[in-house]
Amino acid sequence: MIFALVRFKLAAYARSHRLFQPAIGLLVMLGIFYAGRVPPGQELSAYADSAGLLIVVFAWAARSLLDTEPPAQRLISLTAAGGPGRELTAGLLACLAVNAGLAGLAVLAPLALGFAVVPGGEVIGQGIVLHLLGIAAGTALGALTSKPVFPSPAGSMLALFGGYVGLLLVSVTPAGPLLVPVIGWMRAAGDGTLGGALPSLAVPTVVWSGVAIAVYVRLRRTSP
Amino acid sequence: MRLSNMSFRYSRRGPWVLDEVELELGPGEVVEVTGRNGAGKSTLLRLLAGALRPTKGSVTGRPRVVGYAPEVFPTEQPFTVAAYLAAMARVRRAAGVGDWPERLGMTHLLDRPLGDLSKGSAHKVGLAQALLASPGLIILDEPFAGLDTQTRTELPLIIGEVADAGGIVVVSDHQGGLGEFTGRRPISVVEQRIVEEAHAGTSTLRIVVDSAQAAEVAAKLRADGYEVHVSS
Repeated sequence: MIFALVRFKLAAYARSHRLFQPAIGLLVMLGIFYAGRVPPGQELSAYADSAGLLIVVFAWAARSLLDTEPPAQRLISLTAAGGPGRELTAGLLACLAVNAGLAGLAVLAPLALGFAVVPGGEVIGQGIVLHLLGIAAGTALGALTSKPVFPSPAGSMLALFGGYVGLLLVSVTPAGPLLVPVIGWMRAAGDGTLGGALPSLAVPTVVWSGVAIAVYVRLRRTSP
Repeated sequence: MRLSNMSFRYSRRGPWVLDEVELELGPGEVVEVTGRNGAGKSTLLRLLAGALRPTKGSVTGRPRVVGYAPEVFPTEQPFTVAAYLAAMARVRRAAGVGDWPERLGMTHLLDRPLGDLSKGSAHKVGLAQALLASPGLIILDEPFAGLDTQTRTELPLIIGEVADAGGIVVVSDHQGGLGEFTGRRPISVVEQRIVEEAHAGTSTLRIVVDSAQAAEVAAKLRADGYEVHVSS
């Protein structure tokens, strides 16, 4: 039931051509990141920058996917799927699926085109984890700025980009390590301490993304 | 299915849309909801459908399979009618779209994109998807709006079949499409409450009593076999 609804949402998203916007955003950003070949030893730093900066693309993709379905269709979908919880879950799973595809491209493309030398498995593994953290933060931000929460498109875009810039700014403050430490993971990757610091960077990111999703679920109660 | 002491408002400081509503819906019942624009009919339908949760009170005993046909079907979706109905059948785990396209007079529309449909044709798609999986509760928001004569005649028959199979049918209807549908139960949303309208062949008396005596008088009248609704 849920997977049939995920499939329906993904089909609607793909056919509506809305996927082009974040996909073009992703390609442009990858083009900028890897315009010059990344020298050996700098791959993890490049992955960390990519994961942190692509949060805004993941958020954009999640928001545009959730906004593809007209409000009346959401009502139809939730009755068809057997409740609002299932409709919400299907929406978020569809966002994760799209963002996993975009993140997959962001991890694989530099292996073929961006890095001077293909790095070891550990670096690729850490790159994948960082992109997963980016997906968590981006999907949560996208959900919180989707139409049921922000009916006005202008307000929603402002909240999305403002929210992302705010996320970056607070992560350089002393409270940053306790919030979503985007700058923290970029710095740790740059100075070679990411391996040990990854758990302490991952936990607050996952917790705050979970909190944001919980707020989204709560707000959707009166705005199905 | 029962709405007990149910109140709803959209925000913490907002006005109550529905206030301490009591409503019991039995299997096979066809309920016609009326009320002026903005009275809260659509909110009531969404609460019944499970799309909204009551702010206070509860909704219990909602049948597992719910069909919902919106007042305006959302045509701005990139599917053909057939692809859309097939997708909704999969979400509902229904075997297929059954004979609903024939019965609703829309077989010629199956290959058309949803965006190309007229208002009436789109409305039929909304009705078809709601009927796909033998709903135990079907909610039809203005189902007669824009329908052709053939479907206007067919729809009361379909509603009767759902009710005969034990389904609860809730219809919001400004068009009078249900006409003299036998056994329909008219209710209306008035000032945040639900008021039972008179059934055909019955009348409603309004008896004002002291609040302290309300329960006693209600009990006496119920003992005499009358239907009693107490409001303060």
